Amino acid sequence: MVMIRVPAPLRPYTGGAKEVQVQGQTVATALADLSLRHPDLRPHLFDDRGELRPFVNLFLNEEDIRSLQGTATPVAEGDRLMIVPSIAGGRPDQPALPRVDHAALRTNQAVIIGSLIGAFIADSGWLVALVGAIMALGSLLGVAGFLPIYRLLRAAGIFKPDVLPDHPEPHRFAQALGAAFLLAGSLALGLGVPAAGWALTWIVIGLAALNLFGGLCVGCLVYYWLSRLGAPWFTKTPPAGARPGRRPPAPSDSPR
Amino acid sequence: MTLYASQSLLEQIHALGEAAYPEEGAGLLYGEIRGDDRLATGVRPLPNSVEEDGRRRRYRIAPQEMIAAEMEAEHQGLEVIGVFHSHPDHPAVASETDREWALPWYSYLITSVREGRAAESRSWRLTDDRSMMIEEAVSVAQEARW
Repeated sequence: MVMIRVPAPLRPYTGGAKEVQVQGQTVATALADLSLRHPDLRPHLFDDRGELRPFVNLFLNEEDIRSLQGTATPVAEGDRLMIVPSIAGGRPDQPALPRVDHAALRTNQAVIIGSLIGAFIADSGWLVALVGAIMALGSLLGVAGFLPIYRLLRAAGIFKPDVLPDHPEPHRFAQALGAAFLLAGSLALGLGVPAAGWALTWIVIGLAALNLFGGLCVGCLVYYWLSRLGAPWFTKTPPAGARPGRRPPAPSDSPR
Repeated sequence: MTLYASQSLLEQIHALGEAAYPEEGAGLLYGEIRGDDRLATGVRPLPNSVEEDGRRRRYRIAPQEMIAAEMEAEHQGLEVIGVFHSHPDHPAVASETDREWALPWYSYLITSVREGRAAESRSWRLTDDRSMMIEEAVSVAQEARW
């Protein structure tokens, strides 16, 4: 007879017994006899294919059977076999983050700021509407509205890409928010309410500047707030190690 | 099916999750059993034995640590009643990995740590048929009592 010590979480399946006497010539046959005596224990020790579950560790007289002959290790009368769980788990796997070129975003912000200030100086509601429409189109396509300008500058070697693992959705949302402000603003300008029209335009200029110079994307921040409130469609959480609305860490920045 | 704990014990668990951020922190819960309820009275933080790269989304407690912990708990007249671990930037909900590796009977207290700060803790138990983790109530009081 071999004595098997059962860990506390599995004792409900052995009628509360801490130790069970079993028959067997090897660890495998001793475990088979144990599962025969206590069938409810079996699914917690073995998987569907009859393999030992990865968290089940077996110690024969205080020696790990992996350093002996595994489950083929012979057992003798009076041996003591201990079942010891290793505890493990963790959060769900996150699919690898997509890549977002932050240089394209910054170019977009710079062009938005420049053309809106130009629109204000020229007193052109049409230009505000045009910038808003380009941003809205970019949001629909899931890219920065002024991406073609960035591509030209990059092709000319003026800008280097700044590609980071990041969620594109919050940036897309931020741009859509800006587009909504500008389209509402141009409508106000068209309806003869310049104070409201220019106020909305300057809010967009201010937030784009805060992003370009201050590195804070307020639209992204709003996205992550909505995500935390469980709003539908707002499913992404900030990349690990990143503060919401802030530039995510480059892969090499990750703490060791 | 309730896990009772004192406010200070829960704060201790939250502090351990925050200290481990952005990696997962884990340890064992010591306590007493009464029917289907548990009273957590102590914690034993344990080193995460997962290789460095995986620690942000996995934890593992080695069997040798389990043996030592069970002996320590027994010595104090207590039992290992469950496991606590943190989910960095993830909800305090048991994951598929948690279920696959779970043992029945243990309470799995999960703390969601967002941006380095513990947000909430919820407790889970594996069903007898291993098909799912079901939530148990966590009752927090000023002092450790039933």
